[in-house]
Amino acid sequence: MKALVVLAAGLGVPGVLPALLVARRWAPAVFLAPLIGAGLAALAAVTELGLGGSLPVNYAVVAVIANLAVIAWWRMARYSVRSWAGPSWGWPVATVAFVLACLAIPLTALRSPMIGWDANTMWLTKALMAYGGHHELLAGLQNPAYQYSNPDYPPLLPATGALAFSLFGLGDLHLFVDVTALLNACALGVLGAGVAAAGSTGRLPARVAAVISAGAICLVGFALSGWWGVVGYADLLWAAAAAAAVIWGLVLPKGTQALGIAWTCAAVASLTKNEGLTTALVIFALIALRYQLVTLPGRSLRSWAERAALAGAPALPGLAWAGLVRVLGIHDNFFLATTTESTATRVQATIAGMATHLAVAPVALAVLLAGSWLLRRDREHALLANPVWLWLSCLGSLTIIFATYVFGGDEIHWWLTNSVDRTTIFAQLLLYSDLAIWLVVAADTASARAGRQCVTEVPADLVESVAGRHRRLPAQRVSGPSGA
Amino acid sequence: MGERLRGMGKRADAAWIAAAAVVALGLSVHHEVQLTAAALTPGQITSQTAAYRQEECLYRAIRSQVPKDAAVYITSPPAAPPTERLSELSTLWAELKANRAAARWTLTLVSARGHCDGEALEVHRI
Repeated sequence: MKALVVLAAGLGVPGVLPALLVARRWAPAVFLAPLIGAGLAALAAVTELGLGGSLPVNYAVVAVIANLAVIAWWRMARYSVRSWAGPSWGWPVATVAFVLACLAIPLTALRSPMIGWDANTMWLTKALMAYGGHHELLAGLQNPAYQYSNPDYPPLLPATGALAFSLFGLGDLHLFVDVTALLNACALGVLGAGVAAAGSTGRLPARVAAVISAGAICLVGFALSGWWGVVGYADLLWAAAAAAAVIWGLVLPKGTQALGIAWTCAAVASLTKNEGLTTALVIFALIALRYQLVTLPGRSLRSWAERAALAGAPALPGLAWAGLVRVLGIHDNFFLATTTESTATRVQATIAGMATHLAVAPVALAVLLAGSWLLRRDREHALLANPVWLWLSCLGSLTIIFATYVFGGDEIHWWLTNSVDRTTIFAQLLLYSDLAIWLVVAADTASARAGRQCVTEVPADLVESVAGRHRRLPAQRVSGPSGA
Repeated sequence: MGERLRGMGKRADAAWIAAAAVVALGLSVHHEVQLTAAALTPGQITSQTAAYRQEECLYRAIRSQVPKDAAVYITSPPAAPPTERLSELSTLWAELKANRAAARWTLTLVSARGHCDGEALEVHRI
């Protein structure tokens, strides 16, 4: 437990300033800071593999550069501490406290020293390689004897594990599992903070429902991943980070805060696992479309190019790793083997396998249809985006995973048995998040009294988000009965 | 009056949607609490602690029986666990070879009473 706290601080401290700059409010920043620390560790591993050096030194360099850049940005933009604090302290404190209390429940399972098979053979092995320095990492990833461990997988977890070993030594290998569970909890915390933010413009019952839903979605994340979330697997981390990116970037009102958190979370997903990278690319594209980063007609070719670069920049770390491992001739196992099964057999097995783990989809679809029909205006009134963005990202990710199973080389039934429960966590978590968002909207509607007006404080970020649509928005929103 | 009825109808619709979401989320939360409780039963903690001790025992055995940076080839007897465990535990200590001809040592995990909780490391010089 003590090691877990020290690790959270070790990862969180270098990420505090970047997290505050990105989130500009401390509720999501509390959970975002360790994720950013892990992302910096992943960048350090990219430089370790590509340029050389040891992970702790590279991490220190990357962390110092990132923090100096944040300070420089802060001074240039003349941000004040007040603008980071957010509109009030009460709800953020309640949100963080409740989410932390909920996350503590699954983390108590760490008292049982469980280590999963993949955690050992894939992630811990690579963490040891990264701990060993450039030569060990490069030689290990290129060694055909380690081909079974999918050496091309992105470096976030191994790098974070290697940092933990640098702090505490190799005496306790279970430390790697603790780090993974901690990052899983942080990613779910950012997702929970996003669900809580969906109620920030609502009435008191909606805000209470939002905070409770925020805690619930964290528990749901661990429930969906089963024990994989606490035995060192990477699947919950990329799924939760990607789901957080969808909620902040494609559901919550547009704003620089929401955009920054969404990009950061998607970048974390892209640096965690290959399916995280492909899903993150889908999310980046959808965010660029929603924010009209590329499609909005530019005044000049230069402004168009700048916006295109801005939209693509957060994808660079994940793509840099993918490009680097390809250049070094490092591949995973999935497409090396040649399948003997027909495409029809693989399609059939994949549909059946994935459907088993998407039991929540009919409920989510029913709530989506009912909500879109009955509560569409209430959702718009809460400044939340059309749910089609969330469903598109869900379907986009599922399509890519489906295609991977169909065109991959491993025996399909064995492959599905061993992985489909994990590859569908993102889709399931997103559907549950959609349910939580509808719950918040419905709570706001159900608590409305005919003829009674309710005054709610609108966070500065939301003002910014709708400023483009309405030339002037007062600092307070006056809402009548639901749907008004 | 009509406005009031419309408002009540709308709140009822919202209550149904909220109820569906609460049930779905609640069932999943309940599942998580059960999962955590199952991970923390005395039997589960004992068996997982034994498995972890076995890993540590094998990790130490490699470091005590195999010279540092030795070129090793990991074999697996029929019906024995696959070779990945020893590969992982050899990382940072020995240099793994994908074929036997390039190695100077072979490592095998065999069943044995009293060693690492029912398993032992067998080391042979080629």
